[in-house]
Amino acid sequence: MDFYLFVEGPLLWIAFMVFIIGSILRAAMFLVVSTKKDQIIYQHFSWKYIFTSVGRWLLPLNKSVAKNPVYSILGYIFHICLVVVPIWLSGHISLWEESRFEWSWTPIPDGLADWMTLIFLAIALFFLLRRIFSADIRLISGFADYLLIIITALPFLTGYFLTHGTLDEIGFFGDNMPLIHMLSGEIMLILIPFTKLSHFILFFFSRGASGIEFGRRGYSI
Amino acid sequence: MSEEIKPDEIVNFLKPRLNARFRMWLNICARCGLCADTCHYYRAHGNDPKMIPSYKVRFLKELLKKKGRVDRDYLQKVYDTVYHECNMCRRCTLYCPFGIDIALMISLLRAMLFSQGIAPEGLVKAIDNYKEFGNQMAVTDEDWVDTVEWVEEEMAEELVGLKVPIDKQGAKIIYTVNAREPMFYPQDMMEVAKIFYVAGEDYTYSSKPGWDATNLAMFCGDVKSSKLIVENTFKRAEELEVQQVAVTE
Repeated sequence: MDFYLFVEGPLLWIAFMVFIIGSILRAAMFLVVSTKKDQIIYQHFSWKYIFTSVGRWLLPLNKSVAKNPVYSILGYIFHICLVVVPIWLSGHISLWEESRFEWSWTPIPDGLADWMTLIFLAIALFFLLRRIFSADIRLISGFADYLLIIITALPFLTGYFLTHGTLDEIGFFGDNMPLIHMLSGEIMLILIPFTKLSHFILFFFSRGASGIEFGRRGYSI
Repeated sequence: MSEEIKPDEIVNFLKPRLNARFRMWLNICARCGLCADTCHYYRAHGNDPKMIPSYKVRFLKELLKKKGRVDRDYLQKVYDTVYHECNMCRRCTLYCPFGIDIALMISLLRAMLFSQGIAPEGLVKAIDNYKEFGNQMAVTDEDWVDTVEWVEEEMAEELVGLKVPIDKQGAKIIYTVNAREPMFYPQDMMEVAKIFYVAGEDYTYSSKPGWDATNLAMFCGDVKSSKLIVENTFKRAEELEVQQVAVTE
């Protein structure tokens, strides 16, 4: 039981801290290095291009949606589920209410969360299969690319098992599903700053920089 | 071209030039493959996966990981990719969700190769010419001025009163050409003279370096020479106190 307490307490703190501080450091590192080595961004700095570019790509209003509508829209749904379910799930919110922060906000209906989880998992499976079976994507994929899909999907899969008791019949899983679920989430959080998952924050800087570079030349951003 | 490869030199060249964007891009590329069919090399090679833009810049990551310890065959492979499989058109960037600028990274790889003495012969020769003559075709200032004057004489027969101004102080536009025009295609300059005459534009050529608008040094990532070429033109623009620089290339 000791390990359970560790995962539930200290490790959760560690995971959140690594995620938050790590992400801030990644962003700070970009800002510090770029002011020295990427002067061009600041010489042509424009909030207009940054907002336009970020906005068009956060919403499906960009060139890639028109060119690859199926893949792009799946990507959007994938990311919406990825962000919405963990934050607005009633089970998670009640944990925040019980915590020392006593934070509370309105959850999404559990039925919707279930559907979003299943859709998310289906898309994750599709991305994984695409990476395995498409010659194009296989060539540019490294081990980390496969692993990160699995790591991202695991919290959702185990969360679904946990809330539905799917594997409760199997002794080990039945006893340890809360532990496995928490661990999988913590692993994902910890890996975010150190892997390509850091794009959750660096996306804004990259899009912004390229928005400036291409916007000032009158290209599509 | 030196035969020996110095890993330190490669790393010392790349590291200081690895700006914040490059570092970020090498990290966040999700390998989603959206750039694949935006590339005309990919499409023209029957959708060959090796032509995927994000695959082509793998060398940058590899070179850093291997600390520059590569052989000449490897650099030859880099050369073939960055010169023959990408012309830095930047179309992939327009379709990349993160806006990753593959062309900039290709340019850095070309610059690295140039630092190791690997570049297309034609470009290297042109760069020498820029440094010595201020233009890519090694046209001397005298020959250049002669050509401009000859163009004026020829055209004045057809259009009475036509002038081709050189070093006209305070003209509105300084007009630049590709050095190939005085060398091989002066008829292009004649056509231009005609257009300017009919349009009644106030323009001038420069008699001194800065009249060649091409910048071939840029294509091997030779930033220093590239800067020199641009500076030539802008120096002349300032000296002649023109309002605009017209670059035809």
